[in-house]
Amino acid sequence: MMEITEGSHAVAEAVRLCRPQVVSAYPITPQTHIVEALADFVANGTLDAEYITVENELSALSACVGASAAGSRAYSATTSQGLALMFEVCFNAAGMRLPIVMSIANRAMGAPLSIWNDQQDSISLRDSGWLQFYAEDNQEATDLHYIAYRVSEDPAVLLPSFVCFDGFILSHTYEPVDTLSQEDVDKYLPKFAPPERLDAKDPVSFGMYATPEYYLEFRYETDRALKGAKDVIAKAGKEFEALFGRDYSAPVEGYSLDDAETVIVAMGSICGTVKDAIDEMRAEGKKVGLLKIRVFRPFPTEEVAMFLKRAKRVAVLDKNISLGAKGATVLEVKDALYGSAIPVKGYILGLGGRDVRKRVIREIVSLVEKGQGDQFIGLRKEVL
Amino acid sequence: MCQTLCPEGCVHEDEEGFFDPDYSFCKGCGICAAECPKEAITMKQEEK
Amino acid sequence: MACKTCELFDSGHRACGGCGAALAARLVTKAAGTDTIVVSSTGCMEVFSTPYPETAWKVPWIHSLFENAAAVASGIEAALKKQGRKEKIVIMAGDGATFDIGMICISGAFERGHDFTYICYDNEAYMNTGIQRSGATPYDASTTTSPAGSHSFGNKRPKKDMPAILAAHGAPYVATASIAYPADLMQKVEKAINTPGPCYVQVHAPCCTGWGFEGDQTIAIAKLAIETGLWVNFEMLDGKITRAKKVVRKPVTEYLKTQKRFRHLLSQNSRMRKLLPYRQWQTGTPRSTGSISNSRKNERINHFFRGFPFYLYHQDGNMILQHDLS
Repeated sequence: MMEITEGSHAVAEAVRLCRPQVVSAYPITPQTHIVEALADFVANGTLDAEYITVENELSALSACVGASAAGSRAYSATTSQGLALMFEVCFNAAGMRLPIVMSIANRAMGAPLSIWNDQQDSISLRDSGWLQFYAEDNQEATDLHYIAYRVSEDPAVLLPSFVCFDGFILSHTYEPVDTLSQEDVDKYLPKFAPPERLDAKDPVSFGMYATPEYYLEFRYETDRALKGAKDVIAKAGKEFEALFGRDYSAPVEGYSLDDAETVIVAMGSICGTVKDAIDEMRAEGKKVGLLKIRVFRPFPTEEVAMFLKRAKRVAVLDKNISLGAKGATVLEVKDALYGSAIPVKGYILGLGGRDVRKRVIREIVSLVEKGQGDQFIGLRKEVL
Repeated sequence: MCQTLCPEGCVHEDEEGFFDPDYSFCKGCGICAAECPKEAITMKQEEK
Repeated sequence: MACKTCELFDSGHRACGGCGAALAARLVTKAAGTDTIVVSSTGCMEVFSTPYPETAWKVPWIHSLFENAAAVASGIEAALKKQGRKEKIVIMAGDGATFDIGMICISGAFERGHDFTYICYDNEAYMNTGIQRSGATPYDASTTTSPAGSHSFGNKRPKKDMPAILAAHGAPYVATASIAYPADLMQKVEKAINTPGPCYVQVHAPCCTGWGFEGDQTIAIAKLAIETGLWVNFEMLDGKITRAKKVVRKPVTEYLKTQKRFRHLLSQNSRMRKLLPYRQWQTGTPRSTGSISNSRKNERINHFFRGFPFYLYHQDGNMILQHDLS
């Protein structure tokens, strides 16, 4: 059903339809509307879940760990400082192979304190073993929750997922979104049936300690499962398309890519702006295209290499920076293109909610054509 | 008493009602000997 | 339902010989029975009971992190409620996880009133990492981060009053117990499990390795702690003390001299002996604090006995409940 709705509400509705049994979250801007909407659903009987009003984010995810281990579908949402506070729980959940889904309304990391958007928070947890999906718009933000539960709970994966969408830009923006019905989602997402759970009828121990003789193998298995998730995403995405007409099988998506000489690589809501800028530049005869990354973990190295192999130059946009080095995406893209002669340049932009307009994208295209890059875009000299 | 207080839980009652430790799990801590009200248990150091 | 004949905490774990915590785990699981899910925090018990691929736990068990057992238990409780299951949840956490790093999670979980039983096995320091002081370390105890030395008497702070803190959160049942009195311990654990809401039992679990005594003395020392008044066994229902074990107090030095962590207090070092008001402890006739003129000495004695609700204190060697005084 098509409706104009705020991003947060669309996400909350999608989560409701996924029938989580335990919701455990701590409010933090700009995720608050999601958790408030879910509380409302529970209070009015449209979501049959236990809603735990935890006292901090560390407890929020810890409660999800307990609930998931006990065999219930669990959900949380956070961002920025909250995600950082649950840092060790993220590694713990992935290591224990618990398919929790958590919405991340991407927000900058302090200090300095910022409530506005960039992708530093989830990017900083790319090592944790969680799948990472990035939404371009509210439709994707909504759909990716169904996909995330479906993929996470697949017995070949059993890993938790972040569904990331830009804070305020998507979470607080009204867009037309096609929300599914309960019957639709029940058809797509089966009941949560983990192979093991905490159960007195068949006792098992979760989260033991591993000596050097065993630890490496655990990590190998987790990495293998995460990399293997690519195939599970392909299958789940194709099934979603068959049922609902939107294809999520590929971890990347090309726009105007066929004969593009300059290719922009980007992730998240910025892709909307990039597409508009590309339309303008194409009308002027410039051969520019976009490679959008929708799944950041497991990183689609092969797909990126394949889609970029005919480009003459690549401009990677990063709404994050690994301080002291480069943006996270440009490093991965360079790795994917290692051995090729295609020049790859990275651009740090949009941090802390700094607006990115079409003209900024055009500036970047000029820069990469001149071979200039690996810089911050839009620095205000008067502030420095 | 020894069965209750053994931290290893390795003291078991046999058919005759005597309590004996399972030596594959006994760590030789000596609590059983120290607590037995009848002083029925003595600790003996194994050969080095 | 309790299962006194069950051994739900199996032999073969890697605890030190004579470990008080291991015994506590055995007794608690007996009191809890098979229909239990145990949540452990990081610490000695978790480490010595589950070296992959072996586990000592014959009940479902989960360990997440050091500080979050109460939060994990909250999630399990929610899941069981939604699934209509009846298993009981028992948290087993050391004093480090309970008094210190876990405070946020415990406070939140108790405030929300989840139905679980929180057992703190109190060996009075961070034992697993090598005997560092915790909020439960008694006054003047020597640990690796509060060592006794020429400029220090050891731990500078009295024991945190965790039972009172949790009673203040509205916990319907709070108790302290000791492995020296196993029947009492199991009874209290069973009562806590059968009381709806968040219940707390703090179990004294002497640590031979950390406190410095031979492994066969664990029970004897646990008993001495109670007999000298440095550990008090009591029960609180809805925040009011309803039962306490009364003792005719033995001189405190009888307890202190048994453990390496306190021996510096009794050394022949004349500087120490001058500064500490041990005379009354040694003669075994503790006087009420009003009779000691030096206010700093008062403080030291008061600090030594803190860690339990002030409702209990000593007069003429006897432990009495506050309401008895009126």
